[in-house]
Amino acid sequence: MSEKIVVDARGTACPGPITKLVRAYRQAKNGDIIEVLATDPGFKPDVQAWVKRTGNELVELTEENGVIKAVIKVTAKK
Amino acid sequence: MTEKVVVLGAGTGGLVAANLLVSHGYDVTLVEKKDYHLFQPGMLWIAFQGHDPSKYMRRVDTLVKPGVNLLKDTVESIDLNERTVKLESGKTLDYDKLIIALGVSYDYDSVPGHRQLWETYGDYFSGPEHAQRLWKHVSSLREGKLVLAAADPLYKCPPAPHKAAFLSSYTLKKMGRKDKVEVILALPFIHAYPSETMAKIVEPKLEEAGVTVMTMFTVESIDVENKKIYSMEGEELEYDVAAVIPINKGPQIEITPDSVKDEDGFIKVNKYTLEVEGFDDVYAIGDCNNTPTSKTGVTAHLGAEVVVDRILGYDAKFTGRTNCPIVANGTATFVISSYEHPVIPVKFSKFKRMLEDLFIAAYWSSLRDPEKWRSVFKAYFEATDPTKLGESGW
Repeated sequence: MSEKIVVDARGTACPGPITKLVRAYRQAKNGDIIEVLATDPGFKPDVQAWVKRTGNELVELTEENGVIKAVIKVTAKK
Repeated sequence: MTEKVVVLGAGTGGLVAANLLVSHGYDVTLVEKKDYHLFQPGMLWIAFQGHDPSKYMRRVDTLVKPGVNLLKDTVESIDLNERTVKLESGKTLDYDKLIIALGVSYDYDSVPGHRQLWETYGDYFSGPEHAQRLWKHVSSLREGKLVLAAADPLYKCPPAPHKAAFLSSYTLKKMGRKDKVEVILALPFIHAYPSETMAKIVEPKLEEAGVTVMTMFTVESIDVENKKIYSMEGEELEYDVAAVIPINKGPQIEITPDSVKDEDGFIKVNKYTLEVEGFDDVYAIGDCNNTPTSKTGVTAHLGAEVVVDRILGYDAKFTGRTNCPIVANGTATFVISSYEHPVIPVKFSKFKRMLEDLFIAAYWSSLRDPEKWRSVFKAYFEATDPTKLGESGW
């Protein structure tokens, strides 16, 4: 069964929202959706770089009222 | 009637809280299972420069003020509804106010091969004896690869592996093995440092020191027989000696209600008041709580001050302030951020190295007599407030 994992990283200071994404990824399996909410502006390019390196799929990357939402489909787990 | 405060754990946060409260006349009981307090950054110098552990350890009983009731015991369980703490000895303590300062616990079993790697090479996180084991391997490495990696991005002291890389590369240079041993720093982050702002400052220094940096490398499994580390991101690294930072989890004790712990066992608190969710008579400070800031001695110290002020009746608030030092060849910088402001650019300088050396020299005194250092630290933290320094940094 595929699952949707929501990661709320709003207001996270150093070391930042990517930490929470990496932690969720460890638990995830192929087919799962990870949704990350963040307020750190650096998260946008970071999540793009992370998806490119890991080979997972970035389904959505939007920003509304200062909240960045990234939706990732897990496809690259071994 | 004197208020009874029980403090669990004699790390940085616990000692500062206990010593401040006793000087304000509270009835303070401090529970600690170990005889010695360890200055944890010291493990870096033990592991990578061969320092003697005794330099970084002091007996806990020499670090508490007279009047603190120090109990050598292990916490077994806490019942927040009943207001009781059960100890291994069978003793039960009750309290008016409880401060949990129990730090993190390490998980060497979730990453296949990790326990075996740790038993073989040691690391610079879990204790002076393990740091000494790592030093044995680092100092006898004639050629090959020294890999410094992490099993998870959430670990104590974000710049610890960077310091490890700097210190080991200087040691290897001194030993004349710089060309024969490659130091590889492989971390889960997108940039050479978790914060891109500081990555821009730290990366050239790492390059200068000859350190190879690999980003987006989170250890998934370790093959100790074939000396290979595999990452969650799909890459592999060969090593001759390796130290992998373990997964950090909350303290391994039973708490009632269980709902105050998050999925990794960290204790859920209000990030400003440090009150444990749902209990205004219980606080969790330092590494054991779930505040969205770095797990460091500085945050534990500042958290202890906030909690003491709140117990005294002031509306003090924890700012999430970090001040993580990164030392490199005769210089240093600090990673400075707070809830209100992301990491600001802080350049390496000799002056900052002097400040860091002063902080280290003041360490034991700042634990035992925190009230003497409050005005010094207050001035420092106000002068370096990230919201004031802003984008131009320091």
